[in-house]
Amino acid sequence: MAEAAKTAVYLCAGCGIGEAVSIEALEAVATGESKASSCRRHDHLCDDAGVATIQADIDSGAAERIVIAACSERVNADRFRFDGTPPIRCDLRERVAWSQPPGAEDTQMLAADYVRMALAEAEKSAPPSGQADPGTSKTILVVGGGVSGLTAALESARAGYQVMLVERASDLGGHGAKWSKRMPHRPPYRLPQDNDIGALIAAVTAEPRITVHTRSRVVSTAGGPGRFLVTLDSGGTTIEETLGAIVVATGWRPYDATKLGHLGYGASPDVVTGVELETMLGAGELACKSDGRRPAAVAFIQCAGSRDPDHLPYCSSICCGVSIKQALMIRERVPDSSVYIIHDELRTPGTAEAFYRAAQAAGVIFMKGKVSAVGADLTVTVEDVLLGETVAMAGLDLVVLATGMMPNATAPEAEAIAPQPAPDIDPLAPILAAGATVPEPGSEDASEDDSGPEIGSILNLQYRQGPHLPILADGFADSHFLCFPYETRRSGIYTCGPVRRPMDMAESATDATGAALKAIQAIEAAAAGTALHPRGGDLSFPRINLDPCTKCRRCTVECPFGAIDESDDDYPVVEVARCRRCGTCMGACPVRTISFENYSVEMVSAMIKAVEVPDEFAEKPRVLVLACRNDAIPALDMAGISGTRYSPFARVVPVRCLGSVSALWISDALSTGYDGVILMGCKAGDDYQCHFVKGSAITQERMGKIAETLKSMMLEEERVVTHEVAIADARRAPELIDSFLDTIAEIGPNPFKGF
Amino acid sequence: MAGAETATYDLGFAKWVAGNISGADKLSMCMQCGMCSGSCPIGTQMDHGPRKLIMMIRAGMRDAVLSANTLWNCTQCYNCTVRCPRGIPVTEILQGLATVAVAEGHAGGEPTARFSEAFWWSLAKFGRTDERLVTSRFYFSAGLAEGVRKSRENLAIALRMIKARRMHLGAPHKIKRRKNLQAILAKAREIEARGAGEGD
Repeated sequence: MAEAAKTAVYLCAGCGIGEAVSIEALEAVATGESKASSCRRHDHLCDDAGVATIQADIDSGAAERIVIAACSERVNADRFRFDGTPPIRCDLRERVAWSQPPGAEDTQMLAADYVRMALAEAEKSAPPSGQADPGTSKTILVVGGGVSGLTAALESARAGYQVMLVERASDLGGHGAKWSKRMPHRPPYRLPQDNDIGALIAAVTAEPRITVHTRSRVVSTAGGPGRFLVTLDSGGTTIEETLGAIVVATGWRPYDATKLGHLGYGASPDVVTGVELETMLGAGELACKSDGRRPAAVAFIQCAGSRDPDHLPYCSSICCGVSIKQALMIRERVPDSSVYIIHDELRTPGTAEAFYRAAQAAGVIFMKGKVSAVGADLTVTVEDVLLGETVAMAGLDLVVLATGMMPNATAPEAEAIAPQPAPDIDPLAPILAAGATVPEPGSEDASEDDSGPEIGSILNLQYRQGPHLPILADGFADSHFLCFPYETRRSGIYTCGPVRRPMDMAESATDATGAALKAIQAIEAAAAGTALHPRGGDLSFPRINLDPCTKCRRCTVECPFGAIDESDDDYPVVEVARCRRCGTCMGACPVRTISFENYSVEMVSAMIKAVEVPDEFAEKPRVLVLACRNDAIPALDMAGISGTRYSPFARVVPVRCLGSVSALWISDALSTGYDGVILMGCKAGDDYQCHFVKGSAITQERMGKIAETLKSMMLEEERVVTHEVAIADARRAPELIDSFLDTIAEIGPNPFKGF
Repeated sequence: MAGAETATYDLGFAKWVAGNISGADKLSMCMQCGMCSGSCPIGTQMDHGPRKLIMMIRAGMRDAVLSANTLWNCTQCYNCTVRCPRGIPVTEILQGLATVAVAEGHAGGEPTARFSEAFWWSLAKFGRTDERLVTSRFYFSAGLAEGVRKSRENLAIALRMIKARRMHLGAPHKIKRRKNLQAILAKAREIEARGAGEGD
């Protein structure tokens, strides 16, 4: 069908393209050798007349597939949007006219090759037809009834969506309901404020769109966005529901203070945690647990078990503010009391600085130092950094340990097990690459549970990747905290509040609103059958031809989002709603049986082969650049926009993710006569920037094996390189291309040229 | 000195300082940034910089604070006061502490303390500072031998000052109506004896 389609090419001469290259010669390439059915040129294709021309051709049936040879795919996407006829974009502006000398022979050859490649892409792809049965449930499941969960539920409901709110306790409110006062979140930010969570609970209870299930747990979660099949255990009753998206707001639990024996916990009843002090403050008269006296001298020990490699390695960010709040409350209740806050670094960002000053003005004494011991008689031994001495503080009535927050990323009733950071990307873990041995089906290492320790799960996901949400460093459930907040690597499931990172009540409320919006986006995208971020709007999805499938499980193991399960007979089954369309499965498949309608191994191979490779005597090398659409392509675009000149010998093919790169493309390129291949992807590792989590990491692993393939072809291994390119690398990306061409000049032309 | 006394973090002294020394009610706002000590032109000549002295006040190290030479080596340049991000009048507080140190007998050995005593003696007695009497009182406050040595050492300067009519050998210059001055000073002492100032 693709062969029969009438492909129309539209050449734009605007923005300097007409001056840089001969449009007539490109027309000849398009309609001549590349067999486009028609070719039109326009001086400004993106103006109304240009767009109208294209629309008229589509309407008259003269153009079934359209190639727009103009600017980068990243611009004018709205202008060149034609319903049912998605254009193939061929970049002659950023990558040719703006980065090459005008009128040069090499510039013309580059433009001609890009036209050939675009026509090859048009020939080997089809407009995505979309899914037959997208999930259409628009109800949001919110797990957790604390500040985060309540806010997520309320915000979703107010945006017009039905919400099912699940709370394991018998009452709503979570930890937040236990505090008598909260840190100031409104001007002038100087004094503890009344806890207004009661109003939030009342608003949620009164909201008709929200169904509240207390004393409930999620027993099982299957399906995907738009059609999650969730089973609840609600006080013994089983409830089954089909839901659109899930917000996990399971919050936190305090760090186990019994592990803090060196700080006196357990030795005296008057050594308490901050959470325990809240109960004492809420009980009315403040009294020591040992003998009921009013505490006249109180010391707060900050970072109790936090920022400590033996306990929690991270900062919980809230404890400084909480201790200031409690110190102010003690000073108010016991006016003649001496209150000390012993801190390492006091962290009071933003408006909390005003809170800190208020505590100073109220006479709270801040000491910088490390506490080495707390005795049973409450003598606190502190190495006072500001005094330069070790001080034994005697005569204290109450010692408060400011313990940190631990995420409820797993079910809290299993908290006896120490938090085991389970990085989703383990650089040492074997990733099955081309040439690696495939584990026996059913053997232990065939299953890659990338989700966490074997303890109770929040959602009990019925996914091949295990029941848990993937956990980042330090046990928090999240994706990338800067680039993709709220996302969890399980499509349509979002986290917010302290399960994601430590935060206070005000931050949690803001966070919950963000997660609610993500959930709404997921619901709407699922109903429309399109992909989620970062391929929002993409209707394509992986199609697997099961005939050649060897059941090797690479696709199911390597899918970063758990979108591919195995059927009972071990064949891969795609849950389309979970799929993010990165193509990592396509790059993984050794028999190339996975493809998208508009992106396939065959398509890119055809694009690679469409390039005209001059013989070695022409002294015009050719280098294939497989560049990630998310970061590397924008970087190259930016290089063009800033007029950076780089080698005209590189041919850039945008890829969805480096994870989608098939080893076949590299051997195709080298056997076609290209002198080398550069792969440009995002940063991999713990601080990854890959938009599809681990595509970049997987490819780096796979490329480690490519050297052997090159050797077997009698080629130098320097001919294939992988680089991590960030979106800001507009200077570096062209330099990488140029220096690679220097390397090629040193090692000489590809001996396969001309075969 | 500081080494002899350990920190107790008994806030009694800090509260007393806050209530009895002018400007010290702002001491609780100190965030120990060290701008004062960093700005002090003679910080290297002090037992403790102002920042640490404030911490020692909080730590309840009364004797170490009052016997520190910090109080006497301060030249009152006001760098610390001007630069303090929390608006603490550091110079004023050091001055107040020095007064307490004198009253409680912690001071005496420091040249600055002895000079202050000589200066104040002349001022209170004559209503004016007499260069010859202030200088010799200061020189001999360190002992007879030291007084003779210092006097001889500076004899040439003294002679040149006399020649330039900057110092005279006769009776000291006095203000008129010295009795009024004495009455003013007596009243001041009486107010001081009544107890701490109004601020607390």
